[in-house]
Amino acid sequence: MAEMNVPDSGAKKGKKKVRSKKASTRVDLTAMVDLGFLLITFFMLATTFNKPKTMEIVKPAKDDKVKDEEVPAIKMSKTVSLLLGNNDKVYWYVSPDEVTAETNMELDSVDYSSKGLRAVIQRRIKEVHEQWTDTTNLFVMIKPLPGSKYKNIVDVLDEMTINDVKTYAILKPDDPVDSLVCVKVGQSRK
Amino acid sequence: MPKVKVPRKSTAIDMTAMCDVAFLLLTFFILTTKFRPQEVAQIDIPSSTAQIPIPDKDILMLQISPDGKVFFGLDDQNTRLKLLTRLEEGYSMKFTDDQKNAFRLTELWGMDVRDLPKYLSLDNNARAAYIHPGLKVDTTGGDPQLENLILWARQENNNLRIAIKADKTTEYKAFDQVIEALQNRKVNRFNLITSARSAKE
Repeated sequence: MAEMNVPDSGAKKGKKKVRSKKASTRVDLTAMVDLGFLLITFFMLATTFNKPKTMEIVKPAKDDKVKDEEVPAIKMSKTVSLLLGNNDKVYWYVSPDEVTAETNMELDSVDYSSKGLRAVIQRRIKEVHEQWTDTTNLFVMIKPLPGSKYKNIVDVLDEMTINDVKTYAILKPDDPVDSLVCVKVGQSRK
Repeated sequence: MPKVKVPRKSTAIDMTAMCDVAFLLLTFFILTTKFRPQEVAQIDIPSSTAQIPIPDKDILMLQISPDGKVFFGLDDQNTRLKLLTRLEEGYSMKFTDDQKNAFRLTELWGMDVRDLPKYLSLDNNARAAYIHPGLKVDTTGGDPQLENLILWARQENNNLRIAIKADKTTEYKAFDQVIEALQNRKVNRFNLITSARSAKE
């Protein structure tokens, strides 16, 4: 076996070099792999992988110095009012510019789906474009009632982004029409 | 006919590559992981099409639970300590070093500010089991606690961004109270935390 370095082939016995047994360098890695995957599983479950997103809201500054008269009025026919009620309902109406004997107001309730609220907003955008100019922006007045949920306001704000409505405001439902609507649908306004 | 002998192969597989992959992934997860903060209240956030990810630091988190309790959270430990100093001055309280340290490690809390010393002297387990009654939001007795907290936190860290995390079913009333408090302190820009969804739904 180990004769290579032995010059004298006659002296086979006795002076044989003692070689340490070469241990194989292969280690059984199975256990290590097990451990590795166990830790991976732990970290995968413990980590928050998809980061939540945010929706930025900018509210107009509350400034006591600005008097009511200085706030520019807006033609009601350029607007749509959305009253967010309970049970995931939106009551929407368009206030008339001027109340006359023939004034007829439409009040409807829709849900937050793409066939409900989105259709209303898109319809109003079109109507405003037809009635005024193509560059006239629809102004959406969002009026959450106390019974509405947080999800509702997020949904409505989201519809603003989806439909590219740049002019909208979150208001308190203190218009006389709002009280009328609230009474009609049986919801509290305050 | 001679039998065809199928040579027996060893069942031992070379695990080296697999081990490499496992540890590579492990390293990745260890480095990217950010542990979920302990939750004071179960909050199921609504989804929206908003695509802006929340910034990593300088966040003042106001959480509103489904029953309208408000919780206060600062992400930076130094700001937390500075805020506590302001609370000491503002509400003439004195905190021990242990209490300060406990506050430094509190991610989220919600209670009357005057109850803080009692809460902070509890031991770790008791603090984890403590049921937070929610911040004092109403301003009765001329003590707008939420407004003070917002103001002081912002004075201690100018870059602070305000994020509101509320449950889907939180009533608008509770949300409005928080916004009211923010606006009284001249904060007109804030972030609502939502999860992502597509516009199709």
